[in-house]
Amino acid sequence: MGPFELNTTISNLRNLRESDLSAYDAVYLGNIYCRIFEDNFLECLDDLKEGIARVKGQGLRAYVTSYAAPRNDVLPKVQKALETAAAAGADAVEVHNLGVLRMVHEQFPGMPAHVGGFANVYTDAGAEVLKEYGAVRFTPNYEISLDEVGAITSGVGMPAELVVHGKMPLGVSDYCFLLEYEQKWPEKCPTLCQKNLFLKQGDWAMRSVGKGVLSGKDVCMLEHLPALIAAGHNVFRIEAAYETPAYRLNIAQIYRAALEQAAAGGDGTVDESAWNTIREHTAIGLCNGFYFGRTGAEYVGKRMQSVVAC
Amino acid sequence: MERAIPGYGPLQASPLSAKGCSIGVPKECAMLLAPAGNLEVAKQAFQAGADAVYVGLRGWSRGGARGEFDRKQLRLCIELAHALGKKVQLAANIIPKPQERQKLLRQLAELADWGLHAVILNDVGFLREVRRKLPGLAITASIGCGALNTGDALFYQDLGATAVVLPGYVEPQEIAAVKAEASIQIEVMLHMVQEFIQLGKCWMPSYLNFAAAERGYPSPRLGGSVKRGGVGSCFRICQQPWSLLKDGVEADQRLFPSRQISQVAGLAAFLDAGVDVIKIQGRSLPAEMVSAIIRMYRSAADDWKRGQKADPKTDPKADKKTNGNRAVLPVMWTVQGR
Repeated sequence: MGPFELNTTISNLRNLRESDLSAYDAVYLGNIYCRIFEDNFLECLDDLKEGIARVKGQGLRAYVTSYAAPRNDVLPKVQKALETAAAAGADAVEVHNLGVLRMVHEQFPGMPAHVGGFANVYTDAGAEVLKEYGAVRFTPNYEISLDEVGAITSGVGMPAELVVHGKMPLGVSDYCFLLEYEQKWPEKCPTLCQKNLFLKQGDWAMRSVGKGVLSGKDVCMLEHLPALIAAGHNVFRIEAAYETPAYRLNIAQIYRAALEQAAAGGDGTVDESAWNTIREHTAIGLCNGFYFGRTGAEYVGKRMQSVVAC
Repeated sequence: MERAIPGYGPLQASPLSAKGCSIGVPKECAMLLAPAGNLEVAKQAFQAGADAVYVGLRGWSRGGARGEFDRKQLRLCIELAHALGKKVQLAANIIPKPQERQKLLRQLAELADWGLHAVILNDVGFLREVRRKLPGLAITASIGCGALNTGDALFYQDLGATAVVLPGYVEPQEIAAVKAEASIQIEVMLHMVQEFIQLGKCWMPSYLNFAAAERGYPSPRLGGSVKRGGVGSCFRICQQPWSLLKDGVEADQRLFPSRQISQVAGLAAFLDAGVDVIKIQGRSLPAEMVSAIIRMYRSAADDWKRGQKADPKTDPKADKKTNGNRAVLPVMWTVQGR
């Protein structure tokens, strides 16, 4: 790995084929929320095999994610996806469920495990346990601050993967209420959840993806990248599972340039055109998540509010 | 058998309540575990047939606003339970910060000396630490741990938990499958509100309103964080009306779906599947409500022990007062949506 890794998430082969991944170092394949998401890699194992080959063929690392909250009837399918991942040469699997982590540890001992954000890593003690189950990287629970993340990485000696841009996961459900709208709207499952759907109440907004809820605002850590690099972080994610190929490409190009500059000791100054591009790809506005110990929807930084809140 | 408890009138232990439920006891002795937000609720729950109650200790449990005990009240509750041959569990189910762990460990050690039966925990790291340092204390992996499948149960079994809580919407055949592979006790919250987001997997409140620490508590709690708040202040984000916008245009106004689950009419199937502990949600419930719910489950469990199976359609124990849906779920709560 170079001085840093920039990665993203892609749910199916169609999205993978349509995406220019030249600004990325790695890609997570699969949709963690729903088995019936359009041709989910985790259900279409031939597609998964092709996806891994396609990603690796571009010189990138191919990771396979897994469901956020699987019940027993889903575990056999998870196991098959893991078998496919291992056979096709995936570089790691992402696990959000501790039962799946145990499965990986016991049945795929050579496969590096990245612990996902739904695994609830809040403390060094929790991360230590998961490390013993084969975790080599973790996405901290989205609620904890950079100070708390730093305490875990330094205490446990395991790198954190940080969402630096995109819509942050806020919850997962056993139920898709968008299915209620199949009768009313022309769009049907399995593409319904890919539509531009937001839940709003006053100033509050969240993105609905059916069985998942994401932040309405896009997490944006662009102007804080030098601080992240200085703190020793080097794995960064653009959360774009429900975004367009243009979003994936344009946002990644901005972050790649900014990360390279920060890694070279730059001060984090970003060209104004980059901010304009970010604004064009942002439906609701920007936030910093919980990285600064504040309400997740707030933005802390130098940007003008008119740019941050669209 | 009547016993007098300081500060209380005589109590009549239910002749049908399970006795001696503990680690290693056969499944036919499923423990009935009631919530108690205060001492009066605990008393009435025991009287109604609960085998144990779970309570919060001020500053350390999720949902403090729903009722937490101070140390004196907790000690009295444990004495009350012991006098009746019953048990008390402590919901210490926030995730303690690293600097809080030793303080909580010391408190748990003292409470174990008082006769606390079990502690309910939410963080895998702290769970393992308690197991190592307090080997005699039973540990339950909280419903906030988000366990759903056999692998989860085995994971918490590996860590040394005594029991793991599954949500009440998990079906009996799923529980039977877990029991076939895991020896850890399976506790199921058979009476609960199923909210849209799974318990333990929700950050909507703190995304919208991460409030400052509540005053008056011994440790800083973070309102808005279900995992770290400990003061019951998730602001009920999911129970407020939301506009659903499609391509920027309001398409509907709606609530997040939720429903009250009450499995009393189908309890036999869960007991047949091997459920070890029947858990009732609701430390905010008043004493008369807890008492009514516990009586229903006690009666249904005792019917099952006697080999009587209730008819879910006609059984009066399927009390509409405690079984009413909070929101209608018109389609696909489970199979297709899953």
